[in-house]
Amino acid sequence: MIQAILDAVSLGGVYALAALGLGLVFGVMRLVNFAHAELITVASYTLVMTHQFPLLVSIIFSVVVASLMALIMELVAYRRLRGSNPATMLIVSFGVSVLLQKVYELVFGALPRSASVATWMTGAFTVGGVSITTASVVTIVLAVVILLAMGYLVERTKLGLQLRAAASDFQTARLLGVRSNRLIASAFVISGALAAVVAFVNVVGNPQVDPRFGLDITILALVGIVVGGMNSLRGSALGGFIVGAVLSLLNVILGNGRVYAYSWMFVIVIVILLVRPGGILSKFATKERV
Amino acid sequence: MTLFEVKDLRAGYGKVDVLFGVSLTASKGELIGIVGPNGAGKSTLFGAIVGTVGMRGGSVFLDGEDISGKRPEDIVRLGLSLVPEGRQIFGGLSVIENLTLGLTGRRDKHGEKGALERVHDLFPVLTTHRDHQAGMLSGGQQQQLAIARALVADPRVLLLDEPSLGLSPTVVKDVFDRLIAIAESGTAVVIVEQRAHLVTRLAERTHVLRAGKMQATLTKEDAADEAKLAAAYFGNSGE
Repeated sequence: MIQAILDAVSLGGVYALAALGLGLVFGVMRLVNFAHAELITVASYTLVMTHQFPLLVSIIFSVVVASLMALIMELVAYRRLRGSNPATMLIVSFGVSVLLQKVYELVFGALPRSASVATWMTGAFTVGGVSITTASVVTIVLAVVILLAMGYLVERTKLGLQLRAAASDFQTARLLGVRSNRLIASAFVISGALAAVVAFVNVVGNPQVDPRFGLDITILALVGIVVGGMNSLRGSALGGFIVGAVLSLLNVILGNGRVYAYSWMFVIVIVILLVRPGGILSKFATKERV
Repeated sequence: MTLFEVKDLRAGYGKVDVLFGVSLTASKGELIGIVGPNGAGKSTLFGAIVGTVGMRGGSVFLDGEDISGKRPEDIVRLGLSLVPEGRQIFGGLSVIENLTLGLTGRRDKHGEKGALERVHDLFPVLTTHRDHQAGMLSGGQQQQLAIARALVADPRVLLLDEPSLGLSPTVVKDVFDRLIAIAESGTAVVIVEQRAHLVTRLAERTHVLRAGKMQATLTKEDAADEAKLAAAYFGNSGE
């Protein structure tokens, strides 16, 4: 039971980080960046390809590569689309996602690439007769540290203040002098770094990286930001956490019926959205009469 | 000497033209009014000046420098700030966070503390509510915050779009008294108002904007003559 709770918190933490990365970009651009999946994938490939280096060096490489990729994505694909219809931006992000998957296939092949990354995390230890996996504890610590750091950045720094203002009303923020190019680029770089952290935790658990490696977690993180409230960074993180934790718990509770875990999770998501259509932390939860 | 000049400005949205060659000037310390009915193009004029609405022709000069077509974040750094219609304060942020955001547009980063002290002197209510959520302030307090937030950027020209909107007469008088003080301190103040009488008695000159064109420019004395003002405002003898 304790292990199940730790796993739920750990998976929730990972999804919270993924959702926060998506939420940051959505906040400043109103872009649902589906290609966030490919940031997780490229960071995962980097971890696998540099596994012979010391772990810290390998992680730094993956953070740099994912952040650079995010920056290039913004400069090449999304900058010209600012202010466009959100549907247009979403379709372009699908395009970027598929294009990058094919690029990965050409570069790394369609079959999974694997390597042992941080093997010390795959073990378990016993506390008071209860066996606990190292990975779940490390993941929780990592998620808490990163979420606290992000909380500090968003709540206590000038960049964070500008991100919050831009998420609320970008045009007014620009009228006050907030530099749009710099702010949006910063949001993409941070989202790339968060993708790299998510990649690290995922690669430790499943070191079989293929071109669609980041897809599942990104789709569920997208569900998370809708559940939490798309206009709020806290909401994004909370929604991501809920989706991850619920999915993990359902896998345990359903036992042999775990193949239906996704179905049950989406039932819960639908119920939440029926009660709070704008997301859990949204202020606009009332339904308009039609 | 002219500090701010708009020359033959044309602007619009999509296929619709809204402004058809609008010109105006303001000098240091002057308070200028722009009045006109709904749909005259008043907010579009300010939007085009600050770069949120695309210009289709004409020029905007600030202290002799052509700022036409520059981005909003660059224009505020050159010394031109806008208090938008509806105030547009960040309701989820605190009063001090709103003011801190206003400091982003300052050219002189050393004067930030002094700028905050000055607006707290001008609007003491903001000191009292320093850490309160801005969305919880009354309409008048929010308007004061919106003006203070623009002022901390130390603008040479301050544009205000409908500052009386949604405010009671007492609060409006209070806000306009502060605007006179701001102009007297040397800032050129340009106010757009649908309720003409509020601005005509304060402004050195009042421009009447109707159907995207400046129809008339009235001195304070001309604007005091209701018949003259009505004729300019409605485009006929006032009936």
